[in-house]
Amino acid sequence: MKGGRRPALPADLRALAESLVGDARKLGADEVEVSVVDGREFDVDVRRGKIEHLVEAGSRVCGFKIIKDKRTAYASSSDLAPGTLRRLVRSAVKRAALASPDEFAGLAPLAKKGVDAAELDLFDPAIAGLDSKTKIGLARETERIALGDNRITNSYGANFGTNELHSVLANSNGFVGEYAQTYCELSVGLQAGDTDNKVEDSWFSSKRHFRDLAAPEEIARKAVERTVRQLRPRKIRTQNVPVIFEPTQTSWLMGFLFGCISGTAVYQKATFLAGRLGQKIGNGLVTVVDDGLMPGGLGTRPFDSDGLPSRRTKVVDQGILKNYLCNTYAARKLKLRSTGNADGSGVSPNNFYLEPGPVAPREIIAGTKKGLIVIRTLGHGLNSVSGDISRGAFGLWVENGEIAYPVSEITISGNLGRILNDIEAVGNDLDFFSPVTGPTIKVAEMTVAGS
Amino acid sequence: MDGAVKVRHPKSSDPRAPLPYVDHFRLDPADLRKVLGLALSSGGDFAEIFMEYRTYDFVNMEEDIIKETAESVSLGLGIRVLSGDKTGFGYTNALALEKVEKAALTAAAIASGKVKSRPARLRDKHLANYAYRVSSPADKAGLKKKIALVQEAYGAAQKSDARIAKVKAYFQDSLSSIAILNSEGLFVRDTRPMVKLVCVAISEKNGQREFGFWGGGGRVGLEYFRDVLTPRAIGEQAAREAVILLEARDAPAGEMPIVLSPGHSGVLIHEAVGHLLEADFIRKKTSVFWNKMGKKVGSELVTIHDDPTLPAFRGSYNVDDEGTVPRRTLLIEKGVVRGFLQDRLSAGLMNRPLTGHGRRQDYSNAPIPRMANTYIDRGEHAPEEILKSVKRGFYVASLSGGQVEDSGKFTFSVSLGYLIEDGRLTAPVKQATLIGTNIDVLKRIEMAGSDLEFGLQTGTCSKDGQDVPVSDGCPTLKISKMTVGGQR
Repeated sequence: MKGGRRPALPADLRALAESLVGDARKLGADEVEVSVVDGREFDVDVRRGKIEHLVEAGSRVCGFKIIKDKRTAYASSSDLAPGTLRRLVRSAVKRAALASPDEFAGLAPLAKKGVDAAELDLFDPAIAGLDSKTKIGLARETERIALGDNRITNSYGANFGTNELHSVLANSNGFVGEYAQTYCELSVGLQAGDTDNKVEDSWFSSKRHFRDLAAPEEIARKAVERTVRQLRPRKIRTQNVPVIFEPTQTSWLMGFLFGCISGTAVYQKATFLAGRLGQKIGNGLVTVVDDGLMPGGLGTRPFDSDGLPSRRTKVVDQGILKNYLCNTYAARKLKLRSTGNADGSGVSPNNFYLEPGPVAPREIIAGTKKGLIVIRTLGHGLNSVSGDISRGAFGLWVENGEIAYPVSEITISGNLGRILNDIEAVGNDLDFFSPVTGPTIKVAEMTVAGS
Repeated sequence: MDGAVKVRHPKSSDPRAPLPYVDHFRLDPADLRKVLGLALSSGGDFAEIFMEYRTYDFVNMEEDIIKETAESVSLGLGIRVLSGDKTGFGYTNALALEKVEKAALTAAAIASGKVKSRPARLRDKHLANYAYRVSSPADKAGLKKKIALVQEAYGAAQKSDARIAKVKAYFQDSLSSIAILNSEGLFVRDTRPMVKLVCVAISEKNGQREFGFWGGGGRVGLEYFRDVLTPRAIGEQAAREAVILLEARDAPAGEMPIVLSPGHSGVLIHEAVGHLLEADFIRKKTSVFWNKMGKKVGSELVTIHDDPTLPAFRGSYNVDDEGTVPRRTLLIEKGVVRGFLQDRLSAGLMNRPLTGHGRRQDYSNAPIPRMANTYIDRGEHAPEEILKSVKRGFYVASLSGGQVEDSGKFTFSVSLGYLIEDGRLTAPVKQATLIGTNIDVLKRIEMAGSDLEFGLQTGTCSKDGQDVPVSDGCPTLKISKMTVGGQR
């Protein structure tokens, strides 16, 4: 895997996928879809200057779907011995008869035109060429810089990890697609304060290409800043105030929104946004996009798990709900078109984000007389059926346009439907640190519970 | 010990008999000892091979149809080498000897030096079965039986109330055969069953929707759904919760007295206490408890154990994932810290005895200290007496999960609660979060009921990206005050 722009796919993966499609058809399946993934992983944890844990491994997994008389059976195996796979195929064809016939079941039709994986810039040959010393050194250096700050009292360690994945998908409608992708990530987690007054946080950089990874200095500096700003928190009284979400927090809010506009949740009526297509669900500041084609994006891919080419979909346009994100199945149930979001038997986001606005985050803070900046949350507390949000939070208290002091042991609660209508400002700081993301936002009012 | 396939045949009617172990790996023990030798070839102190073969079945019902079934096979082995406080780890699911040797050399490279020790002769260790209780094994039952269970739960939820708009139900079972060999000569095998049946019901009234969840299972066979918790009860309970929530009001916000229901509220003990007594957080001094051994951190009423040996429970096992036979571990006695949850690495570095809490998600992960079945012991108060003592407060009926950080700050999510007014439960309340700091909360436990129960046998705990099955329990508990995060 050295040098070449186009990664060479292990030749047997494609042959395996295609032969399983043929085997299942011969055994009586009407439709078959097979995926094979070959992965290579490296991961090192360095803590207090020493290697704590080092993993290096490769593994393969094969999964398939069989449809016979509109009845579906799935199977997967990490044992790729021909005997095991043949047994699973035979068993799946038999098992299909036990499921109910489902008029919506069926493979996606073969698309006329695919997406060229090479255009998407998902693979970095440099990652396979990194030697252990460099990889361990990055983690060690990041932690060393962070521990150099005397306010930091303990370390969770720094981590450097890489993944290289080769994927093949073949189906009985004639689709065969394959692509290779890489990831690398460098992170560090820190504590500040003494034992009974600890605060913690971390920072990371996650990229497809090694050259794009943030430098150890930058990651360490951010992790230190994010940790020490929480020192000596105060408690606040329960009150309703404007709440500012930092990008890491807008990110989980967008993840929650995705769960509420996923076609699967919609046909299951498991979301408060079911039946709202074409309606206003937020104010004019809210534009949300799912983009499977963004070059080098962490959520980019040439085709989804149904074999449909990726695309860019406007989900919310200035407050109007334009599209649910669907796989082929959910789209048929909802009489919509697939948006290329199939992932296994479900739906997942590609690069899913809130479009940035014109305002700098510091101006948003400056324009807030009294309020809370949420910097971290703890716990789950997201209910897509009702849209209700209730989470433990850590934050910075704002008074007269300035950060006054950190606060902890509080909860924030509200409802996603109301939040989308109550967004007062959208920052200009969109960053794809994660495939599901958004800039700083300010919400007019939420309940912050304290003492 | 020999290399032949070894199958023990228990009588299927005896739920106490160990489950048959089938060798899917077909690796020659002499070769495996050589692999352990390779793993120690760079000077490691300890080497271990963890082999796993797991089969899994799944049946899913939604939209009134059996939408799909799934079957999966997971096969692989992980090799770990310890060198001081360093761990080298490699795994593979290609079992050709050269691939296994490569994984061993990868793990070996964590050490750098001359060979310090050679693997001891392997001795086959016999395990008693206390953890599993199977008379009707799920892996031997046909898929039709599993489909019938799902349909029954689904139908019960759908029929129980006209306001039920949607139902989902699924069944899953797995059988995992593991073998652990290490350089100290340990060779141990175990076959672990698991079943789970879950129902989710969504209610609807005037455009408002709510959901309810119920389920059960454990290290048991299908007889559980006849003798312990029927599919019908699972469906009806899920529907009941969804319907009650339609009438529920928003949670109050602010500090108030809290009463925790028995069983389900064990999640609080899991989050607030259990995680921070895991020995890795103690050894690294990141946990707020690291310097609290022998110190009083909670009220006299707080005694907490973790017991991986409880028969049939979801968190139970006959042997942990590094070959230690587990025992019930006392964590906190009358408010004083008495023990930590240990794995081999931490116990060795801390010079403490093993407790059998080294667990891993699967062969592709190294073991870390984890909880199994964690519970707070019963007290002396009648549950009614506890309620009566609260003039105005919040009653936690069911919980959907929680999270903790090492400082002891934790939250948990209440899916259904009730207001307590003048010692009685009044209005149902939905979607609240409780937040607190563990030591504050442990000190504020004012009353403990005589009614110790365990929660739903459906729970999974995540740590460092690894999921393992757990359960937790507690009696009715009163906490003098805690912050409830609701909407005013």
